[in-house]
Amino acid sequence: MQPMQSHAQAVDLELDSAMTLSQVGVGCDVRIRLLQGPSCERLRDLGFCEELRIRKLSSGPNLVCAICGTRMAISRELADQVYVEAVA
Amino acid sequence: MPASTDPPAVVALLGNPNSGKTTLFNALTGLNRKVGNYSGVTVEVQEGTAFTPHGKKLRIIDLPGCYSLRADLPDERVALDALHGRISGLPVPDLIVCVVDASNLERHLCLVLEVIELGMPVVLALNMVDVAERSGLRLDPVKLSEELRVTVVPMQADARKGVVELRQALRTPWPAVVTPAWRSDGTDLGTERREFIQRLCMLAARRPDAGQLTASDAIDRWLLHPVWGWVAFIIVMFAVFWSIFSFAGIPMGWIESLQGLVAEFIRSGMPDGDLRSLIVDGVIGGVGGVLVFLPQIILLFFFIGLLESSGYMARAAFLMDGVMSRAGLSGKAFLPLFSSYACAIPGVMATRTIHSAKERLVTLFVAPWMSCSARLPVYFLIVPLLLHEREGTWKQAVVLFVIYALGTLSAFVVARVLRGRLGPDSGVGHHFLLELPPYRAPQWGYILRHVHERARAFVVKAGTLILGLSILLWALSTYPKSAAAADADAFAHSAMGRIGAVIEPVVEPLGFDGRTGTAILTSFAAREVFNSSLAVLFRAEEGNSEEETRDTLREKISAATWPDGRPLFTPLTLISLLVVYIYALQCLPTSAVVAREAGSWKWAAGQFAFMSLFAYLAALVVYQGGRLLGF
Repeated sequence: MQPMQSHAQAVDLELDSAMTLSQVGVGCDVRIRLLQGPSCERLRDLGFCEELRIRKLSSGPNLVCAICGTRMAISRELADQVYVEAVA
Repeated sequence: MPASTDPPAVVALLGNPNSGKTTLFNALTGLNRKVGNYSGVTVEVQEGTAFTPHGKKLRIIDLPGCYSLRADLPDERVALDALHGRISGLPVPDLIVCVVDASNLERHLCLVLEVIELGMPVVLALNMVDVAERSGLRLDPVKLSEELRVTVVPMQADARKGVVELRQALRTPWPAVVTPAWRSDGTDLGTERREFIQRLCMLAARRPDAGQLTASDAIDRWLLHPVWGWVAFIIVMFAVFWSIFSFAGIPMGWIESLQGLVAEFIRSGMPDGDLRSLIVDGVIGGVGGVLVFLPQIILLFFFIGLLESSGYMARAAFLMDGVMSRAGLSGKAFLPLFSSYACAIPGVMATRTIHSAKERLVTLFVAPWMSCSARLPVYFLIVPLLLHEREGTWKQAVVLFVIYALGTLSAFVVARVLRGRLGPDSGVGHHFLLELPPYRAPQWGYILRHVHERARAFVVKAGTLILGLSILLWALSTYPKSAAAADADAFAHSAMGRIGAVIEPVVEPLGFDGRTGTAILTSFAAREVFNSSLAVLFRAEEGNSEEETRDTLREKISAATWPDGRPLFTPLTLISLLVVYIYALQCLPTSAVVAREAGSWKWAAGQFAFMSLFAYLAALVVYQGGRLLGF
C-alpha cells in the first residue's frame, strides 16, 4: 500500500511540474520526490535518495544543503536534477 | 606450528570518504598515515600489519574512499580491483571491514549493501558514534546487526574506543557470507536498496530533527557568504603567507649561526687545502644553504594541515569553484592546485579525486606553476636584492604575492586554453559535488605528524641529492686547477667555467652570464640547488652569524660584473631570473609522478618541454622588452 501511494504521489507531482532543489528558497525543508537527469546515479551515491528530507542552506552557482546531518555543496546543474516537494 | 607459516589473512578497510577509515587504519596498525578532513586523501592503496588479540598476524589494506562500487572514478576502480584481487601482490581479501560514519548512516549504508551483495564476509565498523550521539541520533547497533546480518562494532577510532572489540571481530572463522535481506526478484535493485536503508535507519538510527542547524552552519553563513566569505578567504590566505615569511626568520637565524659556527670551527681546526675547501665550501655551504629554508617549509605544511583538519579547506574549494570554472576547472581542482603551493607532487597525486579525466589531465599539467616551496629559497635570495633591502619587509611580501599571483594566473590561462582544446567531457556537464565536513578543533597530533613527515622528506633530500650535487659542483668549479692566482681566472679554467662559457650565448639574451646559466642548469634536478650553486660559483663564504651568509652571497652577486664592467645583476636581470623560476619545470620527481598519473610519458615530456620553453621565452620577452623600454 505504501509504495502504491508514493508512486501515485510521484505521478501527481510530475503532472504539477514539480520544483527542483535549485528553485526552492533558502532555509526551506523539502523532501526529495525523484531524481531525473544524467547524474542521478551519482547523486544517489551521495545520499540524495528519494524520500529523504533535506534543507537548503544557501543558494548561488553552487548551493549548500543539509542532508542527514551532513552539509553537501552541489552545483546548480546537479540541483536541477533533484525534484522536491515542500514538507508540511 | 603450521599456523605461523600460513600467509597472514588479508583484511580490507572500505568506506565513504570522511568516514574515518584512515584514522581506523592508523589505530589498527600503529602506522603514521596521512589523514585529512576532506574527501580523497587516500589516493593509493596503503598497507599495514595488525595482530588479533590471539597474536595472529593480519595484513590490513586501506582502500581509497569511495561512494559506490560502480567504478566511475579512479578511486572506485582501485577499490573494486582490490576487492576482486585484480591488483598484483594483493590477494582477494579474506574479510572486508566496512567503515561508516554513524552520524551519516543513510548515506554510508549504500556502499555497505553493495559490498554485502558481492558475497564477501563483512564486518561493519560503526565509527564516530560520539558525533552521532552528540547530534541527538539514537543508534541501535544490535538492530543494525540483526537486519544486515553482519557483525557491527560501534567505535570511535580517533579516541581508540572500540578498536579492541574490532580486533576481536577480525578472527577466523570469518563471519559467514550473508544473503542480502533486501533482495527480492522483480523490482529494481536500486529501489530495493534505498527502501531497505530507509527502513533500517528508522529502526536503528532515529533522528530527532533532520533540519537542525549546527554551529558549523552558523559559521558557514559568514564564511560562505558571497562577499564576507571572500574577505575571510583572502585574509586567511594572506595571513598564512605573511606568517610563513615573518615567523620563519627567527629559526632561520639560528640555523645560519649554527652553520657559521661549524664552518668557523672547521676552518680554524684544519690546515688550508682542498679537503678544507670541500668541507667548508662544498658540503657545509651547499647543504646549509638549503637547510636554512626548513622553517618555512615546516610553517607552510603546518598551515596546510591546520586548514585541512579544521575543515576550512573544503570551504575554500567551495568558494573557489566560481574562479576555477573560468579556467575550465571545477572547485575540486582547487585542492590539488593549492597543495601544489607546498609541493607539486602531492598536488598531482590529489588530482585523482577529480571526476572528469580531461579536467584531471589539465589540472596536473598546470600544477607545477603553482609556486612550490622549493622555489622559495630562490625568491628569498633575489627579492631583497631587487628592492635593495634587508630581508623581511612588507614590500617583499607584496612582491612575493605578485610572484605567486603571476604563476597562478598563467596556470589558469593555460588551463583554459588546454581545456578548450581537449573538448567537452562526454556525457554530463559541469559537476560540483563536495562534502563540507563540520568545523572542528584542529587535530594537533595529525598536523605535527604531517609536518614531521614533510620536513624529514625535505631534509633527507637535502642530505642526499643536494649534498651530492654540491660536491659535484664544487669539484667541477675547482678542477682542473690552474696556476693563476686570481679567483676569476682559476674559475674560468675549471670545468664549470668552461660549461658556463658554452651555454653563455644561450642565456645571454635573458640577461644572464655563464655562471648564472650554470646555476640554473644545475637546478633542473631540484630548484633548491640554485642558491648553493650560486654560492659555490660566486665563491661566497660562510658567515659567522645570522644573516651574514645570505648577505655575503647577495653582496657577491651585486658586486659581480660583466667583463666590460657593467653590473651583472640589474633589476631587469633579477626580474628575468624570477620569471625563469616562476615558469620552468625544474623538478625531476614531479615529471615522474605526472607521467604515472597521466598514464603517459608523452604528457610529462610535453609538460616539461612546454614549461621550459615558456620560461625561456617569457624571460626573453621581459629582458629584451625591458631593455627596449630603457630599463
